[in-house]
Amino acid sequence: MNNHGPKAKSHSGEAEGPNGDWSWVLVGALFISTGLVFGLMRIMGIFFVEFVNYFEESSQSISWITSISLATQQFFSPVATALCNAYETRAVVMTGGFLSGLGLIAASQATCLVHLYLSMGVITGLGWALVFTPMMATVVANISQRRALALGLGLSSIGIFSFTLSPLFQLLVEMYTWRGALLIMGGLSLNIMVCGALIRPQWCSKALKKVDSKPRSSCATVLRRVSSYLELPVLLERPYLTYTATITIFNAGYFVPYVHLVALSRMTGFSEYQAAFIMSATGVTDILGRVTTGWFSDLGYFRTIHLLSLWVVLAGLFIILLPVSSLTGSYAALMAISLLYGFCSGALSSLVFAVMPMIVGVERVMGALGLLQLIESGAGLLGAPLSGLLKDMTGNYTVSFIVAGSFLIVGTLIMTTLPHYFSRTDPPPPHRVPHDVKDRGVHLELEHINNSPSDTSPKGAQ
Amino acid sequence: MSASWGKLFFQLVLLLASCGHINTKTPSPTSPSLDPISPLPSDIRRVVLKGESHTEKVELLNPVDLALECIWSGNENKSPNITGYWRKDGEEMQSIRVTVQLENDKYTLRQVFKIVSKENLGSYSCSFGDEAKADFLLAGPQIGEVRDKPIVSYVGDSVVVKCKMDEKKPKPASWNWYKANGTDKEQIFYAAEPQKYEIKNHEWVTKLVVHKLTEGDSGFYYCEGVYAVSTTMGHVELKVITFLEPLKPFIAIIVEVIVLVAAILIYEKSQSKKNSAGGNETNADQTNTPTPGDNNGPEESSSTRQRKV
Repeated sequence: MNNHGPKAKSHSGEAEGPNGDWSWVLVGALFISTGLVFGLMRIMGIFFVEFVNYFEESSQSISWITSISLATQQFFSPVATALCNAYETRAVVMTGGFLSGLGLIAASQATCLVHLYLSMGVITGLGWALVFTPMMATVVANISQRRALALGLGLSSIGIFSFTLSPLFQLLVEMYTWRGALLIMGGLSLNIMVCGALIRPQWCSKALKKVDSKPRSSCATVLRRVSSYLELPVLLERPYLTYTATITIFNAGYFVPYVHLVALSRMTGFSEYQAAFIMSATGVTDILGRVTTGWFSDLGYFRTIHLLSLWVVLAGLFIILLPVSSLTGSYAALMAISLLYGFCSGALSSLVFAVMPMIVGVERVMGALGLLQLIESGAGLLGAPLSGLLKDMTGNYTVSFIVAGSFLIVGTLIMTTLPHYFSRTDPPPPHRVPHDVKDRGVHLELEHINNSPSDTSPKGAQ
Repeated sequence: MSASWGKLFFQLVLLLASCGHINTKTPSPTSPSLDPISPLPSDIRRVVLKGESHTEKVELLNPVDLALECIWSGNENKSPNITGYWRKDGEEMQSIRVTVQLENDKYTLRQVFKIVSKENLGSYSCSFGDEAKADFLLAGPQIGEVRDKPIVSYVGDSVVVKCKMDEKKPKPASWNWYKANGTDKEQIFYAAEPQKYEIKNHEWVTKLVVHKLTEGDSGFYYCEGVYAVSTTMGHVELKVITFLEPLKPFIAIIVEVIVLVAAILIYEKSQSKKNSAGGNETNADQTNTPTPGDNNGPEESSSTRQRKV
């Protein structure tokens, strides 16, 4: 490739490689698509009251819609990443955008609750699965400098979108009722296809697998290929398992304040508007946390994983303090703790993804993230109902918040068992050789990656 | 003499006959004054007049013997007597005009009114001569929640119009629904058209379900909660729109998506065409990244760059 050096560089700034201009276009695409996935998921709450009135169902039946969509998104993440490994990421993301729009458009015609479960829950959730993890993995794999900042910026859209689209959708529901609003929401979701179109085909880092030249598809070969697309071997590695267990436990406690904070504020005696304002303000600090921590982490003073532990412990602490501050009855105290919680939770959520390449290596990030989403989905599903159950049993939210906060702290303790946790610099990323690649050249290349000087320079450290 | 005895005997018989009627606690609204036996609960509202006039709202749901009392401390020349009279809905009730004595430096005007039906509600005013006046507004309770924004629904869909009474007040005995027809003309709903309308009442809430909406169904709907003596009225506006309304912004968004995607793909194609002249092999190499032998180069090679950790 040496002789193509200058030409490679001039293959327009678009493919100047990671850290080039096009990477930041990808961050923009991540921004929009993540906002249209999770931002919209958060706004689904606006439709809640409308559905309860129209379909005359209990709140529990209606809240299953959001749960189904979230669970579907996380459950099918490995399928999405496997598809990206097998085919082009661009096609997968564009299909995902199409499906998520289709699901919402179909939901606008719903005549019964099951119709909503299938369209707004399953189809849209599936679409989101095909969008979120592939886009995340693409950005993670293709940006090494300022990765945490890129992720922080990309994920900040969740808060920004839910903040700005909330009043907009409230207005749409008033003007066109929920049917019209869902239709327009579906149209907006189709913009994800635009984001997908921005992914250049040659950037799929799993191109490695295309080397497999065996055209015959015997059963064993197919299975092996599928397992390699799904990155199943990664499940056998202790670091990955430890990290996944950690994130899963985080998930059990992480969502609880988002679900129950408003209820906690109302229980303390604050009005609807005050409670809603706390949520909005928490959303703002969430955005700040994501971006600031990204920037700070990239400065390289501390290892990303140490920063992650710090934010998680703080978040857990603040979650525990939330009901305590509400006991004092002071609005200012509750608001202050909520703001701090928002900052820490935003901070930890973007760092969670930034640490992944360090655990499994860049080329496996796609599949690893997919599997992680699947595994952590169980905890996410159970976390909020568990907290609700504790509240029903004890009569207030104190115990449930304390349990949620302690999940986060316990998770951090588990994270300390990761290899090289206590070392001052990042260890070299793992270099497991994928077992269906027999090419010696590939092996050489992998060794080359691991010996590259990026590890020791602070700028390049994760 | 015998004639007067006969008259008395006749009146006694009448009295016994009317007493013989089994009466429930609440007399029917159609016979307001035929219940000498079971007394009504009593209530009193008192107003002290300060200054010129005063208005007091009284909420009534059930029949009651309502005593209204007005107390006035008089003006500069405290005459010992003053005429006190009552007005109902602006018209003077001649039969109860009295002369009020000045007692303890105050004039007190008191009257008991039997409130048993809707006609007994309204505005009662007590007046001292032409000088001081107070109004009592006897009415039913205010309807609980009134939705100020119109309810929107689509043609062919069905909609639920809801009226809710404040739960601190007692439940209405029944509910009626009216639709505004032109200016202030109202028509009562029945289950006359069961495919179209459905009324569901449950304690403090009444729901009117309208099926197979048409654009003509738009307008104001009035719910009326009926109590023993009073009614209360609330209103909700319904707006029926066709599906074309949200379709317009939707199509606009679709067009925008198609335009952007096409633009991106075309731009990329034109870029790669531009570069294929110069770097065809570069292109190919980049897509088949891990070709052996290429990878011993330094970090400059783009394939390695892709995997830089």
